[in-house]
Amino acid sequence: MMKNNRHMEKKKVQNTIFTVLAFAFFIFSMLQLDIVPERLMRSFERLTYIFGNMFPPKLNEPIDVFGAAIESIQVAILGTIIGILVSFFLAVFAAKNLTPFKPLSFAIKSFAGFVRAVPALIWALLFIVAVGLGPTPGVLALAINSIGMLVKVYAEALEEIDMGVVEALESAGASKVQVILQGVIPSMLSAFIAWSLFRLDVNIRYSAILGVVGAGGIGWELVKAAQMSRYDEALMVTIVIFLMVMSAEVISEFMKKRANAATAQALK
Amino acid sequence: MKAASIQTDREGHKPPTKDLYSEYRKRKKILFKSQATVFGVITLLALWSLWGTGFNPLSIVTGTYDMFVFMFTDLFPPDFSAIGSLIGPALDTLYMSYVGMVISVLFSLVLGVLAADFLTPHPIIAAISKGITAFLRSVPAVVWAIILVAGIGLGPLTGTIAIGLSGIGILGKAYAEVLNSMDRDQIEGVRATGASWLQVMGQAVWPQFKAGFVSWSLYKLDMNIREAAILGLVGAGGLGYYLQSSISLFQYKTAAMAILMIFALILLVEFVTAKLRERIL
Amino acid sequence: MGETIVEVKQLNKTYPDGTVALKNINIKAYKGEFIVIIGPSGAGKSTFLRSINRLSEPTGGEILFMGKDIVKAGKRDLRKIRRNIGMIFQGFNLVKRLPTVRNVLHGKLGYMSSVKGAFGLFDQKDVEEALDILKRVGLEDQAFKRADELSGGQQQRVAIARAINQTPQLILADEPIASLDPNSSRVVMDYLQKACREEGFTTFVNLHQVDFAKEYADRIIGIKDGEVFFDGTASQLTDETIEALYSKEKTKKQEAVV
Repeated sequence: MMKNNRHMEKKKVQNTIFTVLAFAFFIFSMLQLDIVPERLMRSFERLTYIFGNMFPPKLNEPIDVFGAAIESIQVAILGTIIGILVSFFLAVFAAKNLTPFKPLSFAIKSFAGFVRAVPALIWALLFIVAVGLGPTPGVLALAINSIGMLVKVYAEALEEIDMGVVEALESAGASKVQVILQGVIPSMLSAFIAWSLFRLDVNIRYSAILGVVGAGGIGWELVKAAQMSRYDEALMVTIVIFLMVMSAEVISEFMKKRANAATAQALK
Repeated sequence: MKAASIQTDREGHKPPTKDLYSEYRKRKKILFKSQATVFGVITLLALWSLWGTGFNPLSIVTGTYDMFVFMFTDLFPPDFSAIGSLIGPALDTLYMSYVGMVISVLFSLVLGVLAADFLTPHPIIAAISKGITAFLRSVPAVVWAIILVAGIGLGPLTGTIAIGLSGIGILGKAYAEVLNSMDRDQIEGVRATGASWLQVMGQAVWPQFKAGFVSWSLYKLDMNIREAAILGLVGAGGLGYYLQSSISLFQYKTAAMAILMIFALILLVEFVTAKLRERIL
Repeated sequence: MGETIVEVKQLNKTYPDGTVALKNINIKAYKGEFIVIIGPSGAGKSTFLRSINRLSEPTGGEILFMGKDIVKAGKRDLRKIRRNIGMIFQGFNLVKRLPTVRNVLHGKLGYMSSVKGAFGLFDQKDVEEALDILKRVGLEDQAFKRADELSGGQQQRVAIARAINQTPQLILADEPIASLDPNSSRVVMDYLQKACREEGFTTFVNLHQVDFAKEYADRIIGIKDGEVFFDGTASQLTDETIEALYSKEKTKKQEAVV
């Protein structure tokens, strides 16, 4: 009891110290960034002016915002599909319980970890230098960024499957390919679908901004509008991006439900 | 024999295998149809996207190859002498992420409370609050940054506000969800003792909210480092800005160093937040 | 005595950390024998069964199955041998998301070309056979339900059906009723015994319930500390032997003649 009390007290003191430090660091950071009230006021004035100029949002020809939005979605779709295919293949070798060779598992996982730690937009920037402007570097950047995440989550899903199933099929004389397609994939299918759809959702978000560095899609339209001080147009592009991202979320949610319902129905 | 008796008492209602087989065919067909539809739709989407973007599937191979060539001839080895000039931008990135996080935490707390079913003063206010967070969540931080760069100019202030804004979208929703999933009985209990609103918050809500609050906020800080690094690409200060300018000046080895720095910063902050989470919770 | 199905000679298994799991095991099993293996937990019962189809690799000795040495078999041969050995597990090990009938069909994978099996392209004959077997274990009504919608006892019957569908020479059942209630345990054991009687499968069953062992077994093998401690019929298994088998002390092996 005594000990517990002292522990609680210590925790309380500790938390107070954390709070004070957090606050001090906040003030310090503000000063370092030169965020002072006077500057904020000035910025606020500028922003009211800009927001005033944003309404009503409109489109000036010849900007093809919807075409650009569709290109973004297409970039996202390709990046996701390539990412899924490569990731699944790699994940089979990365999952500790399925890999034929333990160091290979470690190597693939570290590679994925490295790839994941570099943000998608930086990949896009690098791919632009490597392969040139346009949607191609965008697709490749999203693909590689997806691989970074999907290899990890697929491998985890694979590691979670019941190894008994694998043993059972192996002991019935099934070959490696048969074990994976008949036993492993059905066991992890819901996780696979859920993660893949989630990644499509994420990629659509990213694809909207890839254009900012020149990798195709709607992002570039936004940069142009903003640079030319056409704030009404910028707002319109923002709204389109908002709708894109929103609908991606809704659609992927819907598809996830649909996928679950379809398997449920077939098994009824 | 014991076993035989089981067979006979079940014998009565056994459907013939033929019927079962046709049932099997029927189900197999339904399954096949739905699988074929899924694969068909995916294939069509892929073809449509290939046509729309002019993406050549071969460039998966050539692009990867080009990337390797680029990495090993231009990026490596990183220019370590640039570290000195990178420390300033790296710190800026850190400050931006932190201040951005604090801003989103403050606003999200208000919006989260307003959006939580049982704390909101009025359902309409809850709906409005949810609408605002949904909108902020669906517009990427980079988009905010571009608009703000046009508005208040280049620099870390822009990045900070952009991060703060998009963070509200994520934290506002997360906080509201944590609040909604709390045990209501405890809150009712404290309320029943005649406690004031503030007392209810402090005695019943906060203890239940704390864990979710801390882990979501620290998660956001993790995310912010990545975003802050990116925001610089559009001129919102920090390491990204440095990266963008060294690439446009073809100083790839300096750029590589900047990437390495971003990498290190991400890992460092992830490590620190993980430790903090452990200590606090 | 009929034809010899399995002959285990001087089987040894030592784990990499030095733990000895099996010591010089010699067992001969004949066609149609229903053999129950008993012994304290950790004695090596499970390792023994798993060594027979090499889910666990033996470190020494020979296992002759229909005259071929399993221990020396290459990958391809092993696959061919394994399809002739059905295995039943404590945890059923069905693919939970797939319908019952598909799980039974998995028994045929070893007989199919790799590609056909991988995509689940089963012939009408295979499917009808699988459905027939399901009928025999009394589960025709559950044929199209997801495996995990079935009760534990039913799932184990599906696993038995899967093993039968392999048309094996030998069935290995590793604690098949350990996670079932007494009633379903009895039903499962009845079906297992029935199938083996009807088809003439030689069967090894690991059990920890001695009463079940005495009731069902043609022959009982007691394993203690990785060695065969007892080998004989149910009537030869005296209470003293049982006590010695399950006692913590090292006891001199009691040989019984088959």
